[in-house]
This record gives sequence, C-alpha cells and structure tokens, in this order.
Amino acid sequence: MMAFYLQRLLEIFPFFLKGLWMTVVVAGLGLSFATIFGFLLGIMRSSKKKLLTWPIGVYVFVIRGTPFVVQIFIIFFILPEWGIQLDAFPAAVLALSILGAAFICEIVAGGIKAVDQGQWEAATASGLSIFQQLRFVIVPQAMQTILPPLVGQYVLLIKDSSVVSVIGVVELTRVGWMTVVRIPEGLMVFSLVGILYFVISYPLIRVSNSLERRMAVQEVRL
Amino acid sequence: MTMIKFEDVNKWFGKLHVLKNINLQVEPGEVVVICGPSGSGKSTLIRCINRLEKFQKGKLIVDGTPLHDHGINLTKLRADIGFVFQQFHLYPHMTALQNVTLAPINVRKIKKKEATRLGRETLARVGLADKVDSHPAQLSGGQQQRVAIARGLAMNPKIMLFDEPTSALDPEMIGEVLDVMVQLAKEGITMCVVTHEMGFARQVAHRVIFMDEGQLVETGKPDQFFKNPQTDRAAQFISKILTH
Repeated sequence: MMAFYLQRLLEIFPFFLKGLWMTVVVAGLGLSFATIFGFLLGIMRSSKKKLLTWPIGVYVFVIRGTPFVVQIFIIFFILPEWGIQLDAFPAAVLALSILGAAFICEIVAGGIKAVDQGQWEAATASGLSIFQQLRFVIVPQAMQTILPPLVGQYVLLIKDSSVVSVIGVVELTRVGWMTVVRIPEGLMVFSLVGILYFVISYPLIRVSNSLERRMAVQEVRL
Repeated sequence: MTMIKFEDVNKWFGKLHVLKNINLQVEPGEVVVICGPSGSGKSTLIRCINRLEKFQKGKLIVDGTPLHDHGINLTKLRADIGFVFQQFHLYPHMTALQNVTLAPINVRKIKKKEATRLGRETLARVGLADKVDSHPAQLSGGQQQRVAIARGLAMNPKIMLFDEPTSALDPEMIGEVLDVMVQLAKEGITMCVVTHEMGFARQVAHRVIFMDEGQLVETGKPDQFFKNPQTDRAAQFISKILTH
C-alpha cells in the first residue's frame, strides 16, 4: 500500500511544485513589501519624535500580539463588511506584508539605535541633510546589526506564509491538505511539504549563520 | 564683521542652567582657546555655534546668520563650520579619503573627481598623504584625529571648532595633532578650541577664555591669563593644571 501511495504522490508531484511556486510568489512579494515598509517604519521609529514613534509602536504591539491567522481572517472576511473586498491572493500578500513589516521595523529600529550617537553628530556637523545622514552614514553601519536577524526573520515569515492556506490560496501547505484527502498517508504527504519548505529556507538559514559569524569576527577585530 | 557673537545666551538642560548670560565676540581669523573645569559648559558653548545644541534665551549670530531665529538654513551654516570631536567620530565604514570627501560631494555638490583631488590634498596637508585608503580602524588615534580635522577642512570652512581634540589621545600622539592645529591657526582661519593644552594656547591663541559653572569668568591674552589671572577661580584652575 505504501508503495502505491508513494507512486501516486510522485505522479502528482508537479502539483506540489505549483504549490511551492505559489509559496515563493506570496512570500517573495510579502517579504519585499514588508522589507520596504519595515525599513521606512523602522527608521521613523528610531527617531526621537513621539508623534512618529508612538503610532508605529501601537501598530507593532498589535501585530506582534495577535495570531497571524486572526489577522488574515480580519483582512479576508471582515474588511469586506466595510466595503474592502480582496481576493485571496492579494489578501495573503497584504497580510504577510503587514506582519513582516512589524517585525522588520523592530529589527531596523534596533540596528539604527545601535549606531553610536557621535556618528549622527559628525554627519550633522558636516552639513549633511537628514536623508543623506541616513543613507551614507547611519544605515550602512546599522546594516551590520540588522542583516543577520533580518534574514532569520525572512525564514520565519516564509514559514508563516503557510497560514495563508486557510483562506484558500493554493500554496504548498494547501496542496498538502488537498493531497491528503486523496492519499491518506498524512506523514508521507506532509513530510514532502516540510522538505519543500526546507528547500527554500535552508539557503537563507546558511546566509544568516554566515552573516552572524562575520559580525562576530568584525567585533573581535574592532 | 564679527564672525561669532553671543549676546546674553542662556541654556538649560532640564533644570540645570549650563550657560549663564554668555557674551562673547570672535573676530574673523581669531584663535580663541576656551578652558575651564569639566562641567563648566565649554563644550556646550562651542556646540551652540553650529547648533548641535539649542539654547533657550539670548542671541547668537554666526557669520551673519542669527541662530536664535526660526527657520534658518542650518545645513548651509554647518557646511561652513568644521567641527572636531574629542572622540573623532570618523565614519568607520569609509576610507580616510571617503570620510573627507563625503560632505564636499553631497553638500557642496563638487564633482567626485575634483573632490577626490581636493581630499587627497587636504589629507596631505595634515600629513596623511599615504593613508588615503586606510579605514579608521587601521589608523592610530592621532592619525584618526588628523583625518577628522581634514574632514572639516575639506569643506573650506570659515570657522573651525575643536572640542577637546587631544583629550582622548595617548600622550605621544598629542603633538602631531597640535602641530596641525598650530599650522591652521597661522593660516588665519577662525578657530574656537576647547582644550587644556597650555602650550598650544600660549603659542597661537589670541585670547584665552576661562569658564566655570556656565559662566564666562575671565578672558585675556594667553600670557597675561596664565601669569596673572584676574580671578581666584582662574588662578586655582591654572595652578591645578600646571601641577597636574
């Protein structure tokens, strides 16, 4: 029986690849938007202006304090009641962007705050505008602190993207669900799902680890 | 025209009154040394000149710009004032040359090629022609501080401000930094220097200003100030740094 199911599973493997592709697309788009907004929010959050940091703090607090699946439900099922109707795919990308931006915002703000205050003063004193200070002096230095946890966060968010299966986006996890109805070997099916997630995450984990090592080496040198 | 003019400037950090009715004029080309015990407000005083610090009361006019007004062009003002920090604050991810050319390229909008030529020239002026491609971490403290001075000079500033430029240096490196500063002073650039280096003050300062507890206590020519201070507080301070 095992062999039979295994063969069936191989037959529908292209279906899994489609699911994998959808996961890559949803996660790829979600992470891109999350990165852009996460950096913008993180930079604003690191400022000293309460009017700027306070609302962002509330946003981060709410997003980090509620389950992702609930956030997706709100976007997909509750927003339509206020006239905002989204298909499953854009709703999934939006939800992942909002989630990711909250986490990335904190990482970025932390990295910027870790840059020595004297760097701001030196850049200010030389007449650079606030944007030039960030672009040439502050962010490049903050990136050393930001990158390792950022890549780590990407891995977490890719795995979190499995949750969008609940609103019917046919990504990897959803493919698993649909397959297990026809091939009732749960362990086999979801092992395959797990392996495919690992295939995307593993390179990123490696990148994150090597970045962390490089950071540690640099600290020793300084 | 007076380069820097303080008129009854007052500043508070919360409840702490750090600058009390400061009145001071610095003429173009003048070299002024500011000394006093720590916490006397001397760093705060020069940090007001390029508005790294705000002040709450009084008037301060720098190169014709009234700093007490709202909506002044701070970027323009700061571009014309070089500032050298006690802890150098070089940009660690850039080479010495990049440190020096960053502001000329992005603030003065000088073409990169021209800025590079200018940057090399400026680094040569502080004796670091062979260190253009070094990163700060590869340089000694004295070399780093000279890069920091070059970074200020590359903007062709009207005023150079120094906030205890030799206090973070090992004794054997103080000389090389002071030599560069002496050279600048002789070139006629307006300088305000917070320092306890009496040798430097004697050699090039036109005026020494003594501060204590946020007040400008005494001002005079270096020789007269050191030999014959007019106030007890200044006399006490001088005897302390001389016996030190």
